[in-house]
Amino acid sequence: MDTWKEFDQNVVSHSAAHHLMAVDDLIQRLGYARVSDVARGLSITRGSVSISLQPLKKAGLVVQDENRHLRLSERGQTLVDAIKAKRHLAQRLFAEVLGVDPEQAEIDACKMEHLVSKDTARRLSSFLGFLEANPSIGRKLLAAWREYDQNNEHDADSCPICKAERIADSITP
Amino acid sequence: MPTLSTEEITHELNRIFAEEVEAALRYLHLASAVRGLDRLVVERVLKEGFANTIHHAGVIARKIRALGQVPRLQVNLSCPGEPLSAREALGTALTVEEAALEGYQELLSRVEGDVPLEEFIRSQIATESEHVAQLKELLTE
Repeated sequence: MDTWKEFDQNVVSHSAAHHLMAVDDLIQRLGYARVSDVARGLSITRGSVSISLQPLKKAGLVVQDENRHLRLSERGQTLVDAIKAKRHLAQRLFAEVLGVDPEQAEIDACKMEHLVSKDTARRLSSFLGFLEANPSIGRKLLAAWREYDQNNEHDADSCPICKAERIADSITP
Repeated sequence: MPTLSTEEITHELNRIFAEEVEAALRYLHLASAVRGLDRLVVERVLKEGFANTIHHAGVIARKIRALGQVPRLQVNLSCPGEPLSAREALGTALTVEEAALEGYQELLSRVEGDVPLEEFIRSQIATESEHVAQLKELLTE
């Protein structure tokens, strides 16, 4: 129940995260961001962007000036930086450690970037940092894992985790 | 300023076409979602908004056709299933109308030199400005 509470109280939704990142990307690229630019970038209407920005402005994450140009507040910028960092970490974990196809890794990282807690992100960063600082250990670990599950065809019958909790059956529909 | 090509104009008009259709759908939803003592008055305003925006969408579609093109429509709309107060509903309508007005104003700056198209966009701006003013008036206490 607590997990769901935390889920609901998460600062921004997936859509809101993308609106914030769109504003950030535009400002970095062009030096300004307008509603129409965000709409074009996200391939949605100006109306949808305007509606989506309302709660973000109310939350103090986005500011619109008298020229109707958008910018992120300090809080908004901090949030975007954190989301981008978490996406990068997740993408590296999926692609470089788990061997997921890079395109799929990017998609999956995008799905969870705004949900991962600070603590999990720090530990993930530490883990990836450890692998990078100890390449021979990392290589041995990954080689051993790939040997264990060569074709990514997880054998539930011989897996100690799945025997206890039938996880593989739950993952594969 | 360089003149936009027919493809570029069509692309921009298709974007505005989507804005108008989406706005119409929002008006339709808002008219059904509004609750409260003044619901009946506001519902009438919102239903008029629906009729106006659908009409605008038709005008834009005919303009696209007049350019020898076929309108292309892509909307991605999700409206929450929660009741709205009159103020909330009108506020949402105002946000959408202001976004549409901005769209026409931006397009106007890009079609300068194309007199028929300029005139068309100006007339749309005049109409949208009226809608925005009407909504602002309703929201002013």
